[in-house]
Amino acid sequence: MGEMIENVNFTTSSAISDFLKKTPAQDIINWGRKNSLWFLTQPMGCCGVEMISTGCSHYDTDRFGIIPRDSPRQADVIVISGYVTKKYLPALKLVWDQMPAPKWIICMGDCSISGGPFYESYSTVQNIDEIFPVDVFIPGCPPRPEALIQGFIELQKKIMAKKDIGTDY
Amino acid sequence: MDTNIGPSEMLLHLGPQHAIQPGPYLLDLRLKGESVVDAELKMGYIHKGIEKILENKTYLQGITITDRICYLAAMSNNEVFCGCVERLVGIEPPERSQYIRVIMEELSRIQSHLLGLGEFSTDLGFITMFLYMIREREEVLNLIDTVTGSRITQTYLRFGGVREDFPEGYEQKTMLVLNDLKKKLDQHENLYDTDRIYRQRTVGVGTLTKEVATELGVAGPPLRATGVKFDVRKDDPYLVYDDLDFKVCTQKNGDIFARIKVRLDEIRESIYMIEQSFDQMPQGPLFPEGTPYGRRTPVMRVPPGEVFYRVEDPRGEMGMYMISDGSDTPYRVKIRGPVFPTMQALPPLILNTYIADVAAIAASMDGCTSEADR
Amino acid sequence: MIDADYILSSLTKTFPNDFSESKIESDTKLTSYVEKDAIFNVCKHMLDNLECNHLSCECGVDYPDRNELEVVYHIASYEHPVVITLKVKLPRDDPEIESIVSVYWNANWYERETYELYGIMYKNHPDLKPLLLIDEMLGDWPLRKDYDGYPNKTSKNLV
Ligand code: SF4
Repeated sequence: MGEMIENVNFTTSSAISDFLKKTPAQDIINWGRKNSLWFLTQPMGCCGVEMISTGCSHYDTDRFGIIPRDSPRQADVIVISGYVTKKYLPALKLVWDQMPAPKWIICMGDCSISGGPFYESYSTVQNIDEIFPVDVFIPGCPPRPEALIQGFIELQKKIMAKKDIGTDY
Repeated sequence: MDTNIGPSEMLLHLGPQHAIQPGPYLLDLRLKGESVVDAELKMGYIHKGIEKILENKTYLQGITITDRICYLAAMSNNEVFCGCVERLVGIEPPERSQYIRVIMEELSRIQSHLLGLGEFSTDLGFITMFLYMIREREEVLNLIDTVTGSRITQTYLRFGGVREDFPEGYEQKTMLVLNDLKKKLDQHENLYDTDRIYRQRTVGVGTLTKEVATELGVAGPPLRATGVKFDVRKDDPYLVYDDLDFKVCTQKNGDIFARIKVRLDEIRESIYMIEQSFDQMPQGPLFPEGTPYGRRTPVMRVPPGEVFYRVEDPRGEMGMYMISDGSDTPYRVKIRGPVFPTMQALPPLILNTYIADVAAIAASMDGCTSEADR
Repeated sequence: MIDADYILSSLTKTFPNDFSESKIESDTKLTSYVEKDAIFNVCKHMLDNLECNHLSCECGVDYPDRNELEVVYHIASYEHPVVITLKVKLPRDDPEIESIVSVYWNANWYERETYELYGIMYKNHPDLKPLLLIDEMLGDWPLRKDYDGYPNKTSKNLV
């Protein structure tokens, strides 16, 4: 912030966001956000294949504004779709950090929730929710595409509830 | 790889998260101008230790884990595991079960090839084809779903048989879908063949010769595209593949274009095999009679011994080496996936190509990282 | 016509002292133990003279009660359907064996994998380093039977 000038009111971005949070403007922003949930295609396991099918012709999540993107820079949602290993965890954190806020995270499948069939492996990491701020959990091994769509809809509800404004806002 | 870079050189990490990848792996490239002068592939980003887990699970529990070795070929993974146990125990599935297995494995091959073709097309920027292929794949997945109740991780095979019989009217339904698929495939192949840009990007790119391919140990469609007639279904037949009439699809050139052709041909060949299997399939029980093996085999002990069994996965030769010590869990299981050697052959293959072609070549090998890492 | 009989007789003729407990299971399956020092030459002989041009698989097996590690090679061919299983016994405290990468190119990754999972050292391997595991886990040899990290300690709240 520069120095004070007479008769000019300075404002800060946090002041703006505080203002927005208290007014119906936030509703409009949320409405926009919930209808353009672009997710990162980042298949990591069996669930990743289901994630790809969900974004494609048959299930066609485009109709909800949920579009697969290839770059973390363009994505709002990351779907952790499979086993997270000790080797992959640092890369995943990096990908998460590269995504611009506001961003959300969905745990798809038992593996990413609790370790799933591989919970006792010497190489995987359990309890992803202790590492990432997870918004939605979708159980199943693998969850069907319908379940993933349901997960996205739950996330949309969460965004519209005004309380959830995404991580790192 | 040496990380000191010379003049006009550049290091590039492709991965572990990248749009061309079916699963995370890291391809380190050293570029000189636009061509690749050195490459190294790093694996293990989704290594789950399946072999250790299988050693600590009973045989019946093991089937569920084998589904997840390669999620696009769950049926062949089940087959290789159950086949090993069957050989150790000394039972053979009745003929009806064998035909059912063949049908389901070929269906699963079709869906795997369709997804492989689709992913390859997106990496070339041919998104239309991707959407077409996924549309077709969903129909085939529906067929699998009808019988097994699951889309990709089916856990369908059991020792000495299969879990469910076909529902009523399944044959008509299947043939309806597959005949439709045949027609659509012709259209798609036409689209591939006549697209000028597609041909420029694939013909003569990423060429493997016969000698190099055999030396590198590449398996499956990339190998057959170079003209080597190697197919476990023919060379070391299992199930009832002996009684079926099919040809091993090969091409001569060994470039990307040829690999895609092989996959398209194999889908047709699989449809033909399914037709025959429906015609020849006898009625009968699903499990060998007079044995305790059934849908839910109680705690079973497998006599000591060892076996190496190979099947033809959608991606090539898949083998499993199993040692039993007489208890209810395997002593050692080694999974020999086809993708492991295929991925290994990727760095030599992309040397001295243009960076723009790397994605196309990598995708045309149809790697499944999950299976390579296990 | 090359079959298991022919291969075994050719091998035992060339290397009379190196084969033991050979077993022919069928026309296409052959199992045998090989002396540790001979394995490189055996592989070379098979590649050059017996058309066994395809290394199907290479893996390790741990036998703690016998205090031995075994390396198992499955060698097949693109020309004939015979699969040959060769096994080599190694002492558990100092497992070291000649690498066969210069014979079969694709042995490279199999050997790196066996090295990190079992701790078997390969002499003259071009680039012996971990393939699948993180560097910190080198030395744990997770697939050995006495590995104590199984089930994973992190699964505390599940078991
Ligand atoms: S939850 Fe099941 S289907 Fe999903 S990645 Fe894990 S093992 Fe695969």
